[in-house]
Amino acid sequence: MTKLAKKIKAAMLCGAMAMPAATASAEMAYQDVSDLLHLVMSSDRTVYTRMIVNRLAVKEKVITASEHFEDDKALVLPAQMFRFGAEMVAEETDAFSYSLLSLWPINKQNAPSTDLEKEGLQYIADNPGENFYGEEELGGVTYFTAFYADVAVAEACTSCHNKHKDSPKTDFEGGDVMGGVVIRIPMDG
Amino acid sequence: MSRNLFLWMLWGGLTLVGASIVFAKLYIGGDRTILLPGQTAGAHHQLEIACETCHTSKPFASQAKIRKDINKTCQTCHKDELKAADDSHPKKKFTNPRMASYWEKIDGRFCTSCHAEHQPEITGPMMLTLQGDYCVACHSQGEQDIRKDRESHADLTFDTCASSGCHNYHDNRAIYEDFLVKHAGEPWLSAKPVIAVATLQPVPRATDAAEIASYIASVDAPRTNTEISQDWAASAHAAADVTCTSCHAPEEDIWIDAPGQDVCADCHKGAKKSFSLGRHGMRGHAKISKPRDVEKELKKLGWKTPPAGVVAGLEVYLNEPAQPSAMTTDEARVALLAESHGQGMTCVSCHAPHKEDPQNTAITGCLSCHGDDHSRSYENSPHFAAWQAELAGDAPAGSGVTCATCHLPQTERKGAAVTNHNQNDTLRPNEKMIRPVCMNCHGLEFAIDALADPALISNNFSGQPIRHVESIDWAIKRVEPPEQGANQ
Repeated sequence: MTKLAKKIKAAMLCGAMAMPAATASAEMAYQDVSDLLHLVMSSDRTVYTRMIVNRLAVKEKVITASEHFEDDKALVLPAQMFRFGAEMVAEETDAFSYSLLSLWPINKQNAPSTDLEKEGLQYIADNPGENFYGEEELGGVTYFTAFYADVAVAEACTSCHNKHKDSPKTDFEGGDVMGGVVIRIPMDG
Repeated sequence: MSRNLFLWMLWGGLTLVGASIVFAKLYIGGDRTILLPGQTAGAHHQLEIACETCHTSKPFASQAKIRKDINKTCQTCHKDELKAADDSHPKKKFTNPRMASYWEKIDGRFCTSCHAEHQPEITGPMMLTLQGDYCVACHSQGEQDIRKDRESHADLTFDTCASSGCHNYHDNRAIYEDFLVKHAGEPWLSAKPVIAVATLQPVPRATDAAEIASYIASVDAPRTNTEISQDWAASAHAAADVTCTSCHAPEEDIWIDAPGQDVCADCHKGAKKSFSLGRHGMRGHAKISKPRDVEKELKKLGWKTPPAGVVAGLEVYLNEPAQPSAMTTDEARVALLAESHGQGMTCVSCHAPHKEDPQNTAITGCLSCHGDDHSRSYENSPHFAAWQAELAGDAPAGSGVTCATCHLPQTERKGAAVTNHNQNDTLRPNEKMIRPVCMNCHGLEFAIDALADPALISNNFSGQPIRHVESIDWAIKRVEPPEQGANQ
C-alpha cells in the first residue's frame, strides 16, 4: 500500500474510533450470549473427549482416564476438564457461571437441586435437539438459566459411564443425552 | 461548683480518658492484649498480638468486607497446604449460584463459617467451631442422603462422619474410596519395610581422621577449639566449602560468636520456609504483620501530617509491643519437660551448628523438650528398636524410624533427601501421615487402624491396634467383581 493510502486509512480508522461506539456495544440477549458460550464450551470439550481421551485411552490404550488422575498418572476425565474450566472462570468473573449436571449423575452432587434444574434437565432429555431457557432466583439474585443437552460424542463417554459402579444408568448409547450443561447469567435489577 | 456538677465532670473526664486509651490502642498503637476478645486457638496463639496478620480491613469496614478480607488472610498460610491436600471441599465448589441453598445451612465459601477465632469455649480439634454434625447439614436430605446412597451408612450416627479413618472435610488423600480399594488386602508390615528416601546417597563428606586433618590444614580455620574444627571438618558444610567466616562473619569482617537464624536461612531457604509453616517456627513466617507505625496509623485515621513531636510522644507512651521472633517453651500449650523451660526454638535447638549428629536432630533434640506420653514412650517402642538395629548394622539402611521419620518426613528432590521442617504437616488430622510415612512400611488397613487408636498413639505404637476401622471393607463390598478394582 502506498504511503498516502496508509495515511488515509489511518485517518479513517481514527475517525471511526472517535465516533460514539455504537457499533461496539450492541446489546446482546441473554440467550444469544449463553448460546455462544455453550458453543465454545461444548466444542472444547468434544475436542478433548474425542481427540485425547477417546483416541489415547480407548483406541490406542496408551493411558487411562481416571478421576484420580494424579495418583493414577492418568488423563483428566472430560467432566473434570469441564468443571476445572468452570472453576477457573468463577475465579475470574461472576458475569456468568456454568456447570455440568445430569439426571443420572455418578456424583450425587451433580444431580439437579433447584426446581428449574429438574425441569430443564428433564426437558432436554425428553426433547433431543432442543435447548431449555428459564429464569430463577437463587441467593437473592435472579438468573437467566439455559440448559443444553450434553450428548455422548465418543465411545469413551458411554463405555466408562456404563461400567462405573456409581452410575445410576448403565445402558447409554452413542448419541444419547447423558446430561446437561447449565449456564447461568445474573440478570440486572 | 456544686458537688453534682463536679461528679458529672469527673465521670465525663474519666470516661473520656478511658475511651481515648482504648481508641489509641485499637487504632494507633500499644499493647492490645487486654482487648483480646477470647484466647486464640491452636497455634494462632503464637501470633496473638500481631492482629493485622488476619485483621487487614480498614476501621469501620462493612461486615461483608471484613469477612472477605479475613478469609483471604487464611490463604496466606494455609493455601499451599490445602492445594497439596487436594481439598475435598474447596471454596470453589461452593461459589456456583446453584449452591445458594447450601449457603444458608453452612456457608462453605468461607473458612470462618467453620473455623471462627477467639472462641475458645466452642473450639474443638482442628480449630473447628461447629458442633460435630456439620456433615448432616448438606449430606442428609433428598438425593444427598448418604444413609440411602450407601447401605453401609444406613445406621451410622450423625457425629461419626469425621471419625478417624473415615472422612475428612479437606484432606482425603489417604482415605478416598478408590484408594482404599487399590490398597486393600495389604499385609500389616511389608516384606521390605524401608523408608525409600532415607536410603538416598548423602553428599560425600570427609570421614577418616587423615582426610579431616588435611582438610583443616588446607583451610584457614581458627585453631582455638580443635573439637569444633574436627566436628566441622567431618560435616557436609566442610564438604561444601562453607567455612567459619561463611556463618560467623557473613558481612564485612566483623566476627559474630553466635550467628542468628538468618545466616542459616541464607542458604537453607527451603528449610526456613517449611519451618515457618509449622508450630516450631511460625513466628518467623514472612507474612506476620509488623508492629504498627504510629505515623502511618495517624495518616490512616485522616491526620495527614502529624508533627514529629506528637508522633515521638505517642510512640513512647503507647509502646507498641513487637511480635516475638521465635517460640519459647514456656509459651507452649503442649506437654513439655520442666527442664526445657525457657528454651527458644531456632535452628540450633535441634541442629548442632558444627557437628552432624542424626541421633540428635532426629530424636534427642525432640525428646529434650517434649514430655507427652507419646514422646516418653518412644524409647520403648518397636520403631526405636528398628532405629537401634539400623545403627548397629543389623537392619538395612532406612529401616529405622525416628521422631523425624514421621514428623519431619523427607522427600526426594533431584536425588537428595529434603526434609519438611513443618512438623505439623503430617498431623491435623493424623491421616495425613499415612501416605508420606506409614505406607512406606505398613499396609493401608493397618495404618488406618493404628492411627485411629488413641491408646496406641500414647504408647508410641508398642502393640497392635485394638479396633478395626471398616473403611476398606465397605469400599471393597461396593466393587463388583472384587478383582476389578476401582471405578475404571
